[in-house]
Amino acid sequence: MHLAFNEDQATFATVLAQMLGDEAETGFHPVADWGRFDYGTLLDARLEEAGFYDAAAEPDLGTLSAAAMVYEVAQVPVTVECAASALLRPFLGDDVPRPLAVVVDDAPGGVRFLPQAKALLSITDGAVRLAHLDGQAREVASLFAYPMGEVARDTLDWQTLDVDPATIRTLWQIALAAELSGVLAGGLASVLAHVRERTQFGQALGSFQGVQHRLATDAVWLEGARLLMLKAASSRAPQDASLALAHVQNHATRIGYDLHQFMGAMGLTLEHPLHRWTYRARALRAEMGGAPMAFLDYAEARWRAA
Amino acid sequence: MDFTWTEENEAFRARVRDFLDRELPTNWDDIARHGPGSHEQTEFSLEFCPKLAEAGLLVPHWPAQWGGADRPTWEHFIMGEEMWAVGEPRGGQYMNVNWIGPVLMRYGSDAQKAQYLPDMAAGRAIWCQGFSEPGAGSDLASLRTKAIRDGDDYFINGQKIWTSYAGMADTCFLLARTGGADQGRSAIAIFLVPMDTPGIEVRAIPSLIGHGDIHEVFFTDVRVPASCRLGEEGEGWTIISYALANERVGIPRYEMSSQVLDVMVGELKARGAFGNSIVRAKAAEAAAACEAARLLVYRVVDERARGLPPGTAANLARVAVVEADHAVTDFGMDFLPDCFSGDGHLGLLAHHERAIVTGIAAGAAEIQLNLVARRHLDLPKGA
Repeated sequence: MHLAFNEDQATFATVLAQMLGDEAETGFHPVADWGRFDYGTLLDARLEEAGFYDAAAEPDLGTLSAAAMVYEVAQVPVTVECAASALLRPFLGDDVPRPLAVVVDDAPGGVRFLPQAKALLSITDGAVRLAHLDGQAREVASLFAYPMGEVARDTLDWQTLDVDPATIRTLWQIALAAELSGVLAGGLASVLAHVRERTQFGQALGSFQGVQHRLATDAVWLEGARLLMLKAASSRAPQDASLALAHVQNHATRIGYDLHQFMGAMGLTLEHPLHRWTYRARALRAEMGGAPMAFLDYAEARWRAA
Repeated sequence: MDFTWTEENEAFRARVRDFLDRELPTNWDDIARHGPGSHEQTEFSLEFCPKLAEAGLLVPHWPAQWGGADRPTWEHFIMGEEMWAVGEPRGGQYMNVNWIGPVLMRYGSDAQKAQYLPDMAAGRAIWCQGFSEPGAGSDLASLRTKAIRDGDDYFINGQKIWTSYAGMADTCFLLARTGGADQGRSAIAIFLVPMDTPGIEVRAIPSLIGHGDIHEVFFTDVRVPASCRLGEEGEGWTIISYALANERVGIPRYEMSSQVLDVMVGELKARGAFGNSIVRAKAAEAAAACEAARLLVYRVVDERARGLPPGTAANLARVAVVEADHAVTDFGMDFLPDCFSGDGHLGLLAHHERAIVTGIAAGAAEIQLNLVARRHLDLPKGA
């Protein structure tokens, strides 16, 4: 048991933090025409050029660093397709393009990142299939702070990949847990900055115990979620992955409510970045069936033979 | 970052389990039914802990000078997990191992170390902690029990409450005020008071958390020599802060909760009730609370093992441990209510009595939330 990054992982995290600290590329910029998301094209290109999306395949970095990266990238207001590229693509074989959109169990409706994606990945119990995209997808309006798209899936040229569907499903649970934990952590940081500064009744909002206890409880849940996610990324065990995803999805609703509550009316505007986190969280908390399905996955793994 | 146990850790855990399999009697569930502070379990600890000490398993993390073996911090925690998982057969002596002994090593005089540490290391000492008072619970610094210097002695007068293990304790780790209330924390000192000193009266308080677990302790003109004082006058708060930093995650409660959850699931399966997806999902939700708490506690231990100064990890962990305990006992109450009546189920009853006190004992969870807010989230202090 040793809960600190190794030297390579620490260096990786430091360089990533420097890149994410570039406000011009990663900071909040309102989007015209009531836009809900801001795709970080420059950040995405820099991450790709620097090889960050390949970390999972590096023995000294591995899926742990890849998941930690997804967690960190999710905390900035701009959105990039990071989770699938960092945690799935290195295990899908050669010539898999990115950005990558993912659909699980052929879930209906819009798919995150589909407008940007060069390929759509389909994960079912029986197979993992890939379809290259070349302009077939169309962007659809959405409440979520992601580019959402649709495509006539039955018209695509699907190729079955020579990978284990269960392994890819587990990796996707870890990726979603990392992204959701990071998105909520980014939102929490934004709200903390607000309640430290905003005064009412002559004192900072964040000095009221009613506010403190709820945000502190959120922080406990999130830190637990982050550690469960890192453990799952380290072990890649299905039981760990489903638990990590279930735990963060389970608490996401309450945390999201608290974040909006304490940001007040300002948090309901598109001029403020809060929605960039909370409306990514709303999409992620329902992925793969949401917390109830992830809890059932975990129960099956832990107690099936008990 | 490595979330797995070393072979050495696993071997140590196996050794502890072997010891427990060998030494716990067949009626252990009956003994453990009423909690670590009960008369039965305290008596048992006086048979069990000397055997543990003889096997080198009571204080392996202590320095060799004081009966330990300088073993790694992680082994101390593995020991705690295994002991709590079966209901803590060390009884109140877990406190000696976790924090009273280490506090004495750090702040005690040579005479105090020589007087107390050998008995602790041998498993023969029962201590109680004289902290809370009727008017000083979470606000511990407002305590009013007074220790007035009189030549080479102190006269102690006052009352402690919610004192676990006091009914059979040899010694009290007592907080008392040596100056006025206006001097706040700077006038608090610690005294190591033999419980057979004239003027001490102990009364058990019937409670929901086990027979003979909590007490009132009255101090009426109790005279103790100044050599009973631990550290200097005014140093008490510093010492107690060090002690509480150990106590906050001192009990690995998630381990018993996790194992009791397995027992509950086994019972539900036997009844054919675990096929219900709501039951399965709720069981997993309780498990998630346990595993999150486990990792938050492990982070505290990891920081200690790496020699890092105490941060806020213990405050976060303590809140999570409370949630885990409650999640598991609530799951049992929801789906196995009959186990809490009649003959019931000893394991579930024992866990419930331990779980309902989690958010109160060793500092209210709300105090931990205050600390998380201010120290971890950097939120301003209220007016």
